[in-house]
Amino acid sequence: MTVRKRSAVAVLAIGVLAVTSACAEGNQGAPAAQPSGSSNGASSAPAAAYKPAVITQGTAEDSKGPAIPPEGVVKGGTVTMIDRDDFSHLDPAQIYVNTEANFARLISRTLTGYKRVAKGEFKLVGDLATDTGTQSDGGKTWKFTLKDGVKWQDGTPITSADVKWSMERTFAPFVTQGPTYIQQWLTDVDFKKAYPGPYDGKELDAIETPDDKTIIYKFKTPHADAAYAFAMAGYGIVPKAKDTKEQYDKEPVSSGPYIIKSHVVDKTMDLERNPNWDPATDPIRGAYPDKWHLEFGFEALQVTDRLMADSGADQTAFTFYASTPPERLQQVLSDPNLASRRMNSPSPYGNYYYFNLDRVKDPKVRQAINYAWPSKQIQQVMGGPAAAALPTTILNENTTVGYQSYDLFNKETKPEGDVEKAKELLAQTSTPTPTIVYAYNQTPVQEQVTVAIKSALAKAGINVVAKPLDRKTYYDSIGKLGNQFDMYWGGWGADWPSGSTVLPIIFGPVAEGAPNYSHLKDPALTAEMDKITAMTDIDAANAAWMALDKKIQETITPLVVAENRIATMLHGSKVGGAEIDPQQWIVQPDTIFVKP
Amino acid sequence: MFRFITRRTLGAVVTLLIIAACTFFLFFAVPADPARLACGKVCPPELLEQARHNLGLDQPLFVQFLTWVAGIFVGRDYEGLGNCAAPCLGFSFVNKAPVLDTILDRMPLTVSLTIGAAIVFLLFGVATGIVAALRQGKALDKIASVSSLIGASLQIYFVGTLALYFLVYHNHILRQPSYVPITENPLDWAMGLMLPWVVLAIIFTANYTRMTRSTMVEQLSEDYVRTARAKGMQNRSVVMRFALRGTLITIVTILGVDLGTLIGGAIITEQTFGLQGIGQLSIRAVWSSDLPMLMATVMVAAGAIVVFNIIVDVLYAVIDPRVRLS
Repeated sequence: MTVRKRSAVAVLAIGVLAVTSACAEGNQGAPAAQPSGSSNGASSAPAAAYKPAVITQGTAEDSKGPAIPPEGVVKGGTVTMIDRDDFSHLDPAQIYVNTEANFARLISRTLTGYKRVAKGEFKLVGDLATDTGTQSDGGKTWKFTLKDGVKWQDGTPITSADVKWSMERTFAPFVTQGPTYIQQWLTDVDFKKAYPGPYDGKELDAIETPDDKTIIYKFKTPHADAAYAFAMAGYGIVPKAKDTKEQYDKEPVSSGPYIIKSHVVDKTMDLERNPNWDPATDPIRGAYPDKWHLEFGFEALQVTDRLMADSGADQTAFTFYASTPPERLQQVLSDPNLASRRMNSPSPYGNYYYFNLDRVKDPKVRQAINYAWPSKQIQQVMGGPAAAALPTTILNENTTVGYQSYDLFNKETKPEGDVEKAKELLAQTSTPTPTIVYAYNQTPVQEQVTVAIKSALAKAGINVVAKPLDRKTYYDSIGKLGNQFDMYWGGWGADWPSGSTVLPIIFGPVAEGAPNYSHLKDPALTAEMDKITAMTDIDAANAAWMALDKKIQETITPLVVAENRIATMLHGSKVGGAEIDPQQWIVQPDTIFVKP
Repeated sequence: MFRFITRRTLGAVVTLLIIAACTFFLFFAVPADPARLACGKVCPPELLEQARHNLGLDQPLFVQFLTWVAGIFVGRDYEGLGNCAAPCLGFSFVNKAPVLDTILDRMPLTVSLTIGAAIVFLLFGVATGIVAALRQGKALDKIASVSSLIGASLQIYFVGTLALYFLVYHNHILRQPSYVPITENPLDWAMGLMLPWVVLAIIFTANYTRMTRSTMVEQLSEDYVRTARAKGMQNRSVVMRFALRGTLITIVTILGVDLGTLIGGAIITEQTFGLQGIGQLSIRAVWSSDLPMLMATVMVAAGAIVVFNIIVDVLYAVIDPRVRLS
């Protein structure tokens, strides 16, 4: 709800922006033909096709373990994971970014979680809980019951007191990184002032534990999508008896299928089985390998080269997030020998070129720019259709239940820009040849993107003044309310598949450094968002968010929807079940297995 | 000799202190705020202040420097983070551990990389240089000269990437570079570092060949060499006892600098081969604005160069008695 997601996306954006500028042929990156993120059955064609993830809510029956195994699964062996960076945090309360959340699935459990039921299809189910919770009081009260047989790594049972403690400790001053949704729902927006955490002996009254198995959360306002919020890795559990506060970040206690056996920061990590994890209680994690060996310190190019070579121990290796860099992309996409080891998936994040509404006040100018926008040229700069898709909506198709596509500015029919339509709109304004100050992240790729934008908008009579910004201070610069820019790029990622974690954020309070980069202040819009947030019917709420997405672009046009990156990754020939999680944009560990 | 070593050691300590002061004030004057990075992204002002206090960043810069220096001798306690025992080079808020622990973990790889490569390039470089000097103007000399020119022009990221592609990824002749402690498995240790050694040797051998050849040619025309030959001494003895000894001063000089630089972090080599040594550690410290770690890696690099300079000075005295006399 604050600036954290922005940073997570920024990190990803920076990482991904470095993975650009290759040239690849293929389709437009949109038609639905195969499940997203899968390596099985991928063709040797230069570009892959995608369909959005299907996410539904499961039943108590769906919440029972074990997990549905992927085709050809084999138990045992050691799988190796190679990537660039180690995990900054292991304490669930401090986990927010997708790389850490993904790893946390191996050692930490939450009340709810996403169960893979088929390629690209997921169900929200009970993880520690018997189901996805029962709501009452119009969505203000949520009750969960813990499963029998769920234990900590030392064999002691996981109790409702542990679950309550885990939430209470997220209020403590040393917790500064994790999600904040539920804390705010339980207390106040400024939740740290409302409750100081449990370490001085004070409990949080809004959470009740009538017995060892039952836990009840009492929110101040209705939240029909709370079951999704509880699935966030940041709400993973911590044992009350073994909580070492700040030190827990270094030596977490496992509730998941593995235990950390050794960890040399920034270098290696080894996991072994948790003997007290019972697969019968876990519908999400397959935990097929006996051991995990994680190596850090390898750039995406090195990871790709090793996985392409597929020699020796690297045959049982894969990567969580090292996307194929531009210098190898064409080779990886065109080599038929790599087809069975290749995975593709478009980004689940929203990427936008925001208008600064304090400066670009005429909606017709904003619409004209949308029409003239050179989406296709930018796509080419980024590596072509195999490397970037061209979405048309604010909400991302991979992270929006009930997603509906629309194309207000002819992006599908004229992806190179509709200059005539833009000129027609500009002619109706007081400034038919406006000047736009465009601020951009000064990277080699963004330099090229800026040239494409400048050139295309000039054809419509719009003069673009480009302002390069330093990468490290980029968000600080565009986050200033008094910034002197008219347009700039910004990203945002949904925390669960609903517009409720996107639209109220990017069009939320206008404040210094806040993620409402367009400075959109519209009481009617705020009222409508509040109304949808309070809906108790989650399906109706999802439909309403989607409708609001279109309405915002139609009536206000606060942004241009930006291109959407497509990640291409490889895995070793003896690694099975590797799939990119379409929500997290990372290879999830639940289905991974080692082939004999 | 003892006084000579003592004098040089004291000089080295002063040099390191000056380097430490310059590095400290330079790094801690940059806009990056270690407290903000340590505190996290959602950091209320009171927590930020607490983090500043815990890291000692609320003290004047000069006091911070003195505290850092004192930590080397008596250790330091970082409130809320942990204790950093002497010699404490700082506490990484990224790794949440004393930086020395991480450096000691990475040092064996860098030392192995350096020593192995040095043996290869020293043997090949000096031998080729001697042969070239003795066959001056002949085909062997020309081949050695051209080869060394080519070798000196190459870059590790170029040769290393090519070598990885052809020898590891494509033809599977050598294994993916990795580090196994020599105490664990000497063969795996050698095989894991073979490729980086060879690549480093290709680059460095060229320099040693050229330096050995030119100095040896010079030595061979010296009066004392002519005198030795005139007295009927065997050519082999003349070369090995007189000419080579005179050449060694040059070799030791550049070897001292090269070893110091490599121990301080073979950044490009480690990055190219994905090896987790001091070089890669310093790169990551830059990326994550981990100033204490960066400071420590700079000090290790500086310390390595200073130590090897002392060793070189001592070796001068061993090789050439005139140095001791002066």
